[in-house]
Amino acid sequence: MRFLRVLAMAALVAGLVVAVAGSLAYSLVIAPLLVALATAVVTLLARPWPRLGRALSVLGAGGYAIAVAALVEAVLLPLSSDPAVLTYQVSDWNAPFGITAVADPLSAFMLALAAVVVVPALVFSVLYVDEHGQALSYHPLFHFMLVGVSGSFLTGDLFNLFVWFEVMLMSSYVLVVFYSGPQHTRAALQYVVLNLVGSGVMLVAIGGLYSTTGTLNMADMARRLADPGAFGVDPAPVLGLSAVLFAVFALKAGVVPFQFWVPAAYRAAPAPVAAVLAGVVKKVGIYAVIRLYFTVFAAATIDVSLPGIAGDSVLAFYGPVLFAMAAGSILLGGVGAVARDDFEEMLAFSSIGQVGFIVLPLAMAASVAVPVAGPFASVRSLGIAAALVYSLNHAVAKGTLFMAAGATWSATGTVDLDRLGGLSESAPVLSGSVFVAGIALVGVPPVVGFFGKFLVFDAAFRSGSWLAVAVALGGAVLTIAYVTRLWNRGFWGDPGEAVGEVPPRGQVAVVGLLAAALLAIGIGFDPVFRAAGAAAEAALDRGEYIEAVEPRRYSGDGGEDHATLLLVAATGGGTARRRVRAALGRVRTTFDGAPSAVVGGSTYDTDGGSTPDHDEGSDADREVVDR
Amino acid sequence: MTQILLATVLGTLFALGTFLVLRRDVVRVVWGIAIIGQSANLYLVTMGGLSGGAPIASHGAHGFAEQPTDPLVQALVLTAIVIGFGTTAFALVLTYRVYEEHGTIDTYKLGGEGS
Repeated sequence: MRFLRVLAMAALVAGLVVAVAGSLAYSLVIAPLLVALATAVVTLLARPWPRLGRALSVLGAGGYAIAVAALVEAVLLPLSSDPAVLTYQVSDWNAPFGITAVADPLSAFMLALAAVVVVPALVFSVLYVDEHGQALSYHPLFHFMLVGVSGSFLTGDLFNLFVWFEVMLMSSYVLVVFYSGPQHTRAALQYVVLNLVGSGVMLVAIGGLYSTTGTLNMADMARRLADPGAFGVDPAPVLGLSAVLFAVFALKAGVVPFQFWVPAAYRAAPAPVAAVLAGVVKKVGIYAVIRLYFTVFAAATIDVSLPGIAGDSVLAFYGPVLFAMAAGSILLGGVGAVARDDFEEMLAFSSIGQVGFIVLPLAMAASVAVPVAGPFASVRSLGIAAALVYSLNHAVAKGTLFMAAGATWSATGTVDLDRLGGLSESAPVLSGSVFVAGIALVGVPPVVGFFGKFLVFDAAFRSGSWLAVAVALGGAVLTIAYVTRLWNRGFWGDPGEAVGEVPPRGQVAVVGLLAAALLAIGIGFDPVFRAAGAAAEAALDRGEYIEAVEPRRYSGDGGEDHATLLLVAATGGGTARRRVRAALGRVRTTFDGAPSAVVGGSTYDTDGGSTPDHDEGSDADREVVDR
Repeated sequence: MTQILLATVLGTLFALGTFLVLRRDVVRVVWGIAIIGQSANLYLVTMGGLSGGAPIASHGAHGFAEQPTDPLVQALVLTAIVIGFGTTAFALVLTYRVYEEHGTIDTYKLGGEGS
């Protein structure tokens, strides 16, 4: 028995190490994904041995950090030169036939943000969640959630994005209900129902976009929307369909009016999970908005004329919409946070408000594109960079605060501010960390929050919207109010009735480390700033994105889509005909290809249509089907 | 004709799903989600175009299908069905758990703080 156990342990450890090393060597682009997946599977196998499972989980998180660091180095680090865009075509099926993973500066930035929060959160979990809970399924779930997050950041395919969302959500459902008390099941039920409806809506939007554009690959979609005539695409329905999709992303990001699930879910989840939900999972919604709306949908020239809104791009519509959502979030979140007497609930409302601060510069970016002086080409890239920097600030600061709330719970058994007080005496390091994270939310130098707030205000000023400046100012005042209130009632003054015991050292160390990271990023801000700038440029540089993904051009005269062509490839050619009934008009295309040509490797373009940029060379070395 | 029929069916399904989601009984809410999920799947299939033969390689006269319909949406729907199955199962388990802990599955009675 003992021998078997040692053997199993050795196999699991070896498996994890091989997976990490192998994925790093195999493809940097999907390395974070593979590492997280391998860790999730290995920790699942290690469930009979809780200590081993915990060790593997921490090891896997370390591996994840290494994978992300390697990817960031490859994509972003030559900061002086042009950043690279790396792609990985799954199973070597070239885009748009297969699924593409894309690591551009924007994805790399988001992955780095995730790694900065997730690794400390996992270490904190090991110290915080009770042994029984960890032995159950905490670690596999945590890593599966990480798989979903990484996949969402990396994928270049719309339906694949849906799948990663589901992977992420399924684990988060279970993590929210992890403590399974009455409060938690109710919160989880609400969270699950909302997100399931959201999934249905997302599917509808994706189906509509597929039937409109004839593709699911994001780069291919951007290319088709940019030149609708050449592809026989009518871009008009994209506005409405993207709006349906937008509701789903807003739900994920917890922006007003889709914020109502946030406080209950965050309170129910264990503290480190709440840190990841608020810090990272929310940002997936923000990332999807930046990637899809600024990179993909903005490619289309659509005549937008609604009451009070006019323009020739979908962004003209999203400018005011994003602004209204941001203003609502900032004010509702701020007012809600000021009124709370519960540490965690205050943090949950605060994260609604802070997401408003992330969306506000995006609204500026969507509505104004005038060139500006300084390091950014236009208000548009400035706004996106501001949103990214603020996302990083919020992720780390809110991660610190949620874990601080967890450590407070460990020491006092409560997070009720009425029963707390004077923690700065009994827990100086913990209180110092809360202070640093608090001023990061407020935006005081030298913490990174200062630069975040500064860029948000800069974007608001430069876009010339005084209303935006006023909203941001009001939000800043509310932030000061609730941070001050938290500090005064929880950490200052006489000790409360529950205060006395010293919080566990390990937990405090993790919180302190994250707070130190806030300071460090603030002091050494230049590389982060340049990375955010590169990410913003990458989000707007559609040509580079399309070029990197390199979707094959297979249609000279209209509406074939890859389904037909896959079929042609799979059946060895012949006649394949597909009818598309799009929302407007009917596109009918015929394809005739000779079987020999297909088997030989040169595929569907043989006589299908005029393909000016068709590259014979790349065709020859691509094996299509070998029957 | 098929299109009008399917549009009607889709509309009815979505309406039914929405109606059920807004019910007080949690089990009905879960049914509502399941129906919304299935109507989204049906919608996806519809988006692939309705005409054409089965997209199976050996279905046609010469070893391949004549005028096959779009197989991609069907692959997508398979994925979506599997995901929907898993989440519905979880939602049902959660409903049972809610019943165990609160003694009711009426959302009005669940709604209050501290219950």
